[in-house]
Amino acid sequence: MNNSAPRIAPRDGIIEEVTAALGDILIEAKDAVQEVSLTVARESIVEVCTMLRDRFGYQQLMEIAGADYPSREERFEVVYHLLSVTKNHRIRVRVTTDEDKAVPSVTGIWPVAGWLEREVFDMYGVIFEGNNDLRRILTDYGFRGHPFRKDFPLSGYVELRYSEEQKRVVYEPVRLPQDFRAFDFLSPWEGAAYILPGDEKAQEAPGAPTPLKADEIKK
Amino acid sequence: MTIASPEMSHAQEIARSGATESKIANYTINFGPQHPAAHGVLRLVLELDGEIVERVDPHVGLLHRGTEKFCENKTYIQSIPYMDRLDYVSPMCMEHSYVLAIEKLLGIEVPLRAQYLRTFFAELTRVSNHLLNIGSHVMDVGAMTPNLWLFEPREDIMNFYERVSGARMHANYFRPGGVHQDVPAGFLEEVNVWLDKGLLPIFEDAISLVADNRIFKQRNVDISIVSKEDALAWGFSGPMIRAAGIPWDLRKSQPYDAYDRVEFDIPVGTKGDCYDRLMVRVEEVRQSVRIMKQCIRDMPEGPIASLDRKVVPPKRAEMKQSMESLIHHFKLYTEGFHVPAGEVYVATESPKGEFGIYLVSDGTNKPYRVKIRPTGFSHLQAMDFMSKGHMLADVTAILGSLDIVFGEIDR
Amino acid sequence: MGVILDPRHENARPADLQQPDPKFFTELQSEVTDKGFLVTSTEDLFQWARTGSLWWMTFGLACCAVEMIHANMPRYDLERFGVAPRASPRQSDVMIVAGTLCNKMAPALRRVYDQMSEPRYVISMGSCANGGGYYHYSYSVVRGCDRIVPVDIYVPGCPPTAEALLYGVMQLQRKIRRVGTIER
Repeated sequence: MNNSAPRIAPRDGIIEEVTAALGDILIEAKDAVQEVSLTVARESIVEVCTMLRDRFGYQQLMEIAGADYPSREERFEVVYHLLSVTKNHRIRVRVTTDEDKAVPSVTGIWPVAGWLEREVFDMYGVIFEGNNDLRRILTDYGFRGHPFRKDFPLSGYVELRYSEEQKRVVYEPVRLPQDFRAFDFLSPWEGAAYILPGDEKAQEAPGAPTPLKADEIKK
Repeated sequence: MTIASPEMSHAQEIARSGATESKIANYTINFGPQHPAAHGVLRLVLELDGEIVERVDPHVGLLHRGTEKFCENKTYIQSIPYMDRLDYVSPMCMEHSYVLAIEKLLGIEVPLRAQYLRTFFAELTRVSNHLLNIGSHVMDVGAMTPNLWLFEPREDIMNFYERVSGARMHANYFRPGGVHQDVPAGFLEEVNVWLDKGLLPIFEDAISLVADNRIFKQRNVDISIVSKEDALAWGFSGPMIRAAGIPWDLRKSQPYDAYDRVEFDIPVGTKGDCYDRLMVRVEEVRQSVRIMKQCIRDMPEGPIASLDRKVVPPKRAEMKQSMESLIHHFKLYTEGFHVPAGEVYVATESPKGEFGIYLVSDGTNKPYRVKIRPTGFSHLQAMDFMSKGHMLADVTAILGSLDIVFGEIDR
Repeated sequence: MGVILDPRHENARPADLQQPDPKFFTELQSEVTDKGFLVTSTEDLFQWARTGSLWWMTFGLACCAVEMIHANMPRYDLERFGVAPRASPRQSDVMIVAGTLCNKMAPALRRVYDQMSEPRYVISMGSCANGGGYYHYSYSVVRGCDRIVPVDIYVPGCPPTAEALLYGVMQLQRKIRRVGTIER
C-alpha cells in the first residue's frame, strides 16, 4: 500500500471463514483495494448480520448506503458497512433489491439502523420490512419521488415561492432561467455515440461539391 | 353548598374536581427549528410528562441540500468544496476523507510533506471545532464568558486558514495527491509560537472557569449516561464513544497520512455522561496541540503534492513555459481526471467522530455514487434514549454534548 | 449620529453625511448646557433610535451562521453598533438569513418573519441566501431567500467574512437613514 489512506491490517482468512459459515446465502465475496465485500441473499441479511456481529466480532454498523443501477434487473443496492472495534477491521455487506421487494430490517440488531434505513427509503424508495418507523427523513414534508434515483432530475420538479395573494408559501413547477450545465467529456476523437454540436448539418445536406482538380477537367 | 371559606377555596376545588375528571396527560412541545440552543436548524418534538422528557422525535433534513446528488453531477475536483460545506465547523477534516478515498482508488502516492501538512491542518481544524463546541456547550448551560474567550483563538485559526488557502472557512485546501499550495514562509514557526502564547493560555483559562465549576457540574455530571454497549449499538464514534469508555480512535487504530509518525494520547471517559464528553474534547485539544508541534518539528521539505501530472495540476509558473503543462492544466480543470472503477469506504477521525465516504466509481471523471457517512446522524438518533427520563432543561446540555452540525447531518 | 441639528446639513440626504466634525459636537454640547434640552424632528429621533438598536434575530441556517457568530464575538464586536442577538422574533428588528434556505425550512422562515414586528429588515447573508449559490440547482433549495421574504441588504460571499457582514449592517443603517422612517 503506497498511498496514505487509512491503513487497516488485513484480516487473513476472513473470506474463507465467512464463506464456510454462510454457505448458500453468500452470493459473492471479494477483496478489492484491501476492502472485503460480501454480497448476500436479500432475505437472509438479518441472519448474516447477526452472525457477523456475534461470531466474527463486527460490533458496529457504521453506515447503510443505497445505490441505484437502473440498467440492472434489481436496480438498487443496499450496502452495509460494519466495523469491528476489537479486530480493527471493516467489512461490507451488500444486498440487491428493486422498488417492490422489501429488505428485512436490521433494527433488531443495531438500533442505529432505524434512521439509516429511513434515509435509504427516503432517497431510493427501498422498503425495509420490520422497521416500524419508516417515514421520510431528509426531504421536505410531503415530498414526492426519491431524489437520489438516477432518473430523478437534479433540480427536481417543484420550487417554492411566497405568494402574496395566498399569504403562504406555495409550490410551483420548477423554472430555471438557465439549465444546469452538464457536460460529458467523451472525446470526439474517440467516437462519441451522438452527433457533435455543429455537425448536425453534415447529415442533412452534403454541402457544396468538391471542386474538380485541374487534370480532371475535360476540355 | 355554602360559600367556600378562604381556606378551602381554589386548591381544594381543583383537587376535588381533578379526582373525578381526567388524569393529566403528557403534552408535546415543539423545539425549533429556530431556536438558539438547537445548534442550527434542528426541530425536536418533545413529549413531556411535567418536565420529564418521555420521548424525543428529532426532525432533521431542514438543511438537506442534496450534496450527494451534486457530487454525482460534478467532477471529482469540483466536489471538494461541497465537502467543506458539510461540516462547516471543521471544513478541512471533511475534505480529508474525500481526498483519501479518491487517492485510494487512484492508488497514487502522496509526498511526506503533504502528509504532514494535512495532518497538521486536520488537527488545527480539530482545535477550531472543539473551541466552538466547548464554548457553545458551556453557553447552553448558562455560562457566557468561556464562549467569548474561546472565539478569540478561533478567529486566529480562521486567519491561518486564510493565509494558506485564501478563505476563512471553506478552504478547499486538500486535493487528491496532496494539498493545494505550500504554506507561506514563516507560517509554521508563527503557529508554533501561537500554540503556546495564543491558544493554550486562553484555552486553559476558559476551561478553568467551567471544569470545576459547581453549577456546571450540576448541569452535566450524570446527565445522559451512555454505556459501552449502547455506544456500540447506536453507532457512536469519536469523542462520544471515547467518553463511554471505549478507547477507539481511527487516528491510532487505522492511521492515515502522518498519524502513525506522531505521538499522542487518547482520552477516555469513565462514566459516559455529558461532563465526560466535554472533558474528552478538552483533552483532545491539548493532544492536538501536541500533534501540531510534532508536525512542525518533523515536517520535511519537498513537494506538497504528487508529481503525477495526470492528477495534480502543474504550477502556474510551469504553465507559462511548458506546452505540456498547459495541456495538463486545461484537461484537469475541464474534464478532470478519470478514476478507475471500483468502490471504497474511507473513514477518518473528524473532530466529531468517524466521517466516512463511500465512493463508487465507474471509471469516468465523475463519481457514480458518493455516500457521505455523517457523524452526527447516528448521534442525533440516539437523542431519544439519551434524553429519556431527564428534565427538559437537560435537553440543551445533551444537545451541546453531542456536537452536532446540520450541514453534515442533513447533507 | 442620526440627530442632525446643524443647519448646514438641512438639505443634505443623510446618506451623504460624513462623520460629523468636532464643531458639530461642540454646538450640540453648548446647546444642551445652554438650554438643557435639544430640539429635533421626530423623524431624526426615530432614525437615531432605529439605527442604534438593530437587534437581529438568530437565524443561523448553515455555514454563514458561523461567520455571523464571529461577527458578534469580541474581535469584530457588532454590539458596538447596537446590534445584539435576540432569540425571539417578536423582539427583534432585523433578520439575518445566514445560510442555505431549504424547501423544508422555508415555511418556518416565513412564519418567523411574519412574527417580527414592524419596522423589520432582512439581511440576506451569503450566496446561498442571495440566490441559491453553490446549491442553486438543487431539488431541495430555495433559489434565493428573496422568494420567501423581502430583502433589504444582500451580503455576497461564500461565506461572507465577518467584516463583510459588519459592512452589510452598516449599509442597512445607511438605508434606514435614507429611506425615512415614518412610512416605510
